[in-house]
Amino acid sequence: MYKSITGKIFEELKHVTDKEYILTDEYNKDIYSKDNTEDLKYYPDVIIRPGSTSEISKILKIANFYKIPVTPRGGGTGLSGGSLPVFGGICLSLERMNKILEIDENNFQITAEPGVITEVLQSECEKRGLFYPVDPASKGSCFIGGNLAESSGGPRAVKYGTTKDYVLSIEVVLPSGEILNLGTNTLKNVSGYNLTQLIIGSEGTLGIITRITLRLTALPKFRKVALIAYDDIYKCISSVAEIFKQGLIPSALEFMERDAIKTAEEHLSKVYPNSDAEAQLLVEFDGNNEEVIFADIEKCALISEKYDAADVIMAEDTSKIEEIWSLRRAVGESVKNISVYMEEDTVVPRFRLPDLLIGVKEICTMYGIRAICYGHAGDGNLHINILKDGLSDDEWEFKTAKAIPEIFKLTVRLGGSISGEHGIGLTQKKYLNIAVQEKVILLMKEIKKIFDPNNILNPGKIFDL
Amino acid sequence: MKIVVCVSLVPDSTTKIKISDDGKSIDESGVTFIINPYDEYAVEESVQLKEKKGAETYAISFGTQKHKEAIKKAFQMGIDKGILIQTESDNYDSYTVAKNLAEAIKEINPDIIFFGKQSIDFDGLTVPGMVGELLGIPSVNVVTKIEYGDNLLTLEREIEGGKEVITTSIPAVIGTQKGLNTPRYPNLKSIMASKSKPIDEKKATYSGNATNVTEMKLPESKGKGKILTEGVKSVPELVNLLRNEAKVI
Ligand SMILES: Cc1cc2nc3c(=O)[nH]c(=O)nc-3n(C[C@H](O)[C@H](O)[C@H](O)COP(=O)(O)OP(=O)(O)OC[C@H]3O[C@@H](n4cnc5c(N)ncnc54)[C@H](O)[C@@H]3O)c2cc1C
Repeated sequence: MYKSITGKIFEELKHVTDKEYILTDEYNKDIYSKDNTEDLKYYPDVIIRPGSTSEISKILKIANFYKIPVTPRGGGTGLSGGSLPVFGGICLSLERMNKILEIDENNFQITAEPGVITEVLQSECEKRGLFYPVDPASKGSCFIGGNLAESSGGPRAVKYGTTKDYVLSIEVVLPSGEILNLGTNTLKNVSGYNLTQLIIGSEGTLGIITRITLRLTALPKFRKVALIAYDDIYKCISSVAEIFKQGLIPSALEFMERDAIKTAEEHLSKVYPNSDAEAQLLVEFDGNNEEVIFADIEKCALISEKYDAADVIMAEDTSKIEEIWSLRRAVGESVKNISVYMEEDTVVPRFRLPDLLIGVKEICTMYGIRAICYGHAGDGNLHINILKDGLSDDEWEFKTAKAIPEIFKLTVRLGGSISGEHGIGLTQKKYLNIAVQEKVILLMKEIKKIFDPNNILNPGKIFDL
Repeated sequence: MKIVVCVSLVPDSTTKIKISDDGKSIDESGVTFIINPYDEYAVEESVQLKEKKGAETYAISFGTQKHKEAIKKAFQMGIDKGILIQTESDNYDSYTVAKNLAEAIKEINPDIIFFGKQSIDFDGLTVPGMVGELLGIPSVNVVTKIEYGDNLLTLEREIEGGKEVITTSIPAVIGTQKGLNTPRYPNLKSIMASKSKPIDEKKATYSGNATNVTEMKLPESKGKGKILTEGVKSVPELVNLLRNEAKVI
């Protein structure tokens, strides 16, 4: 179906992008063959690192003409295999397009190329008292373009929303090479279908995002963090909804069970307080009034007492706050280091979280598999890491093939979905029909065909055409 | 038993330091302050000792009003009483600090005096030793382990490439080093309780510095890092850069 890259095509590509930025050696192919999804590897035939929108446009024209698959790649931190070049072809890495183009302090906006590392973008804003709140735990390595493609979330989504809530306008290159400007840099805009939001979360299957304007808010002056330890995991997760029902608006509310904390502690070679507790909540409040923040944490502590919390510790200095956050951020990576794993990114309405957690534990017990759970509890978003541990390959195949659909069916029964923020990509596409109506999937496929009639852009993702 | 722990307030290690226009001091605008991290080991040790054997505990800080924050942190971790030896200006050296602390400590007449081994702002490592000297009692710094016997302490301290074990009589001054214990995060109950703990404010009695700061400079900024992207193929270039540009091999 797809053509391979012949010498002639290669010559054409070299006319577009300096050969210094085209890689074909085995070492680099290996690096660009994987992201952060399980131990999956798919090798590109060539890695191109363009420096501008017009280069990308030309590359896509060539690829579209010769029917060569193109897989966009950001920081390669994706957890659903989105940037894996399943059909080989071109890996289009946005790493060189890493400039912040403008910070508009009058209108609270930032315009950047897609290859800017999220944390870099954030700290440039913060230097000016501005705030881009979306902070995936991978913020030190993922790109803002990748964040748009996945509509990423992160701990602060509970108060501030996810990537989709900040995008004002984007420049997108279509598989045909045409360049689109979508959206305006205004806070409102109702002018036809919202194609900006269609591109956001489209996982690199509809177009390549080449310029991004985001809205910003003012940087809150203070924040404080509490870590609440519970001896009963069910009571811990049940207290989450109550915190909101009492009128509190935390800027983050994260859940970690004991195994997650223990693994992260080991990874960091550091001991944290109450790490023997069955589960803990990390609660953060931010704002401009320190006393209000303190009072909110106090209220939170009182609520947690009703759910038999064993202890509440608090961090107020930046360095202490970071120390606690580093525990939370280490969880994902360290859990994935234990053994071969599969990660599910379930999300349910917040109040159903206890049902989800209990159900997941039951399903895992039934199949005799271990799962470590943690996640953005305030959003009802539970990350379930299923570990292979000592299982044989056959057992692992068999058990996960049974358990994962059951977990997803439960999630959907509870009113939720199969991915809160990691996307469908490659690894979740076989489950898409559990969460999305057949007719809706059909409509999605039709949309894909309009944008990409030759199916060259990130083929094999979200669904098979 | 009475225990004194001396605490200091320093810029948060994550803040960017700027030098004031006078070229001799730190521009404090926009800087957040925290208790000196090494002092946390000292506070933790005091509180653990109190919890084990029972003791009256005092946190003393020499400085301007903002130094109360360091005492409050010590309160949150479990110290019961506080003394601020108040000075109007930020212009003091370690001798002035030591003189004033020694004066206040004498009045309490404690069995053990804990310090952090050094403050992370001026890195002097001098105050604990001076206080011991001014009080005429032994002082041991950079301590990583303490065994409490009857009137005798057995201390382990770090020395280059090894450990030294020392015994000392009490009263004694001890400077604490990372590794001695794990400072606790204050829990909400102790934070609430700390709000009613009293801080006694005294005027500084000595202000004649022994030394004077004439100039302060920031370290030269490091050049941008270079990333070589060709994997194994980059090794010759790396060796060349290390030898001829960085001149480290
Ligand atoms: C330790 C760890 C923690 C994480 N924590 C979180 C978290 O808290 N919240 C969260 O939401 N996610 C999290 N993730 C997942 C991941 O970081 C996000 O999905 C992130 O947005 C991916 O960005 P990236 O730049 O690495 O993209 P990549 O992985 O390189 O690509 C992701 C997808 O985007 C496409 N793409 C990339 N750039 C473009 C572009 N310019 N135009 C079009 N398509 C493009 C790719 O084709 C691919 O389909 C975490 C991952 C790790 C490893």
